[in-house]
Amino acid sequence: MSIHTLEACFVISKMRRDNTIIVHTMSAMPLISALTPSPLNIASVPLMGGASGIGLGLAIAQPDRKVVVLDGDASLLMELGGMAQIGDQAPANLIHIVFNNGTQFQGIANLDRPGGANFDFCAVAKASGYATTNRFTSVPELVAGGPDLIGSAGPHFVELEVSAAPKFTRESPQPEMPAMQFGRMGAEARAMMEALGVSK
Amino acid sequence: MAITDYAIPASRLHRAFRDQGIDAVTTVPDLIQFALHDALKRDEGVKYIECAAENQALTTAMGLYVGGMSPMVMMQNQGLLNCLNTLRSVGIDAQIPLVLCVGAFGREFANLGQPLADSSRACVSLVEPVMAAMELPFFHLETEADLPKLEDAFDTAKTKQRAAIVHLGFYPSWT
Repeated sequence: MSIHTLEACFVISKMRRDNTIIVHTMSAMPLISALTPSPLNIASVPLMGGASGIGLGLAIAQPDRKVVVLDGDASLLMELGGMAQIGDQAPANLIHIVFNNGTQFQGIANLDRPGGANFDFCAVAKASGYATTNRFTSVPELVAGGPDLIGSAGPHFVELEVSAAPKFTRESPQPEMPAMQFGRMGAEARAMMEALGVSK
Repeated sequence: MAITDYAIPASRLHRAFRDQGIDAVTTVPDLIQFALHDALKRDEGVKYIECAAENQALTTAMGLYVGGMSPMVMMQNQGLLNCLNTLRSVGIDAQIPLVLCVGAFGREFANLGQPLADSSRACVSLVEPVMAAMELPFFHLETEADLPKLEDAFDTAKTKQRAAIVHLGFYPSWT
């Protein structure tokens, strides 16, 4: 059993409260942006591996807001040491969700990611000192367990078992990377600072 | 000059960074900057965050900055070379004006007072040209007389809306 990325993003968008910051990357990026657009969203792009660090910094600087990080599995592996940092700092307002589809470039090439299906993200999170760890493999499990995490003290870690989208084919070629992809993170950072009332 | 003349007092560096409004540090600790690490970590007005790798020091600092804090990033030259892509993303594309304090790990004493480019150690000689290639402002502090450059680094980062490097050529002294 597994969850479709769209289903996961839809449930997470419904869990969101008005003051929730969302840091997102990889497969969740286009969907969460469409389902719950907000100046309190920021994409870690093009910066694979950066979401959890950005989320940790925001959680420390904005302790009265919930910060939800939507990470990719290969992306998290790239900066796995960041989980030890989160455990050290233990921000109670941070929820770190990894979309585990077992692939790199899912929906494009679906290459295998290191670690394979047996890599235990929750075990790493637990050893790193997250307050809770949960692994959800179906939409009902996410719907039942997800909302409580928003209302309780973390840092929480959630692994979602997500199905990988079909890869591009000759009939559906890979698109060009738009210029906006490179200016997006900075533009969203400035929009978030304005929404948070941060002036520099 | 005596070797010790190249050691900027850590207390002066600490005060200079605090005068720039620093209230947080993200770091992968640097062999060169032990005395400055110690001073900043003991400062109750500074949130001091030890990171597992330099990429995380940069991204965590970015989150702190966007959230309203004023972080600086500390690492050594090897670490800087380790995180060039994240520096490109955060400090150039996203225009986050972080100031990085970078120590010249491995610099031979014979190079003190000489151009960094003349160092026989690649991790010393390559840093400035690599930063130049990335068009990132670079401020080398060789002695205490160079301390005013630190203010220039913060001003330049803010004006240009990009990361800037403060480069320490020698161990700060424990005073």
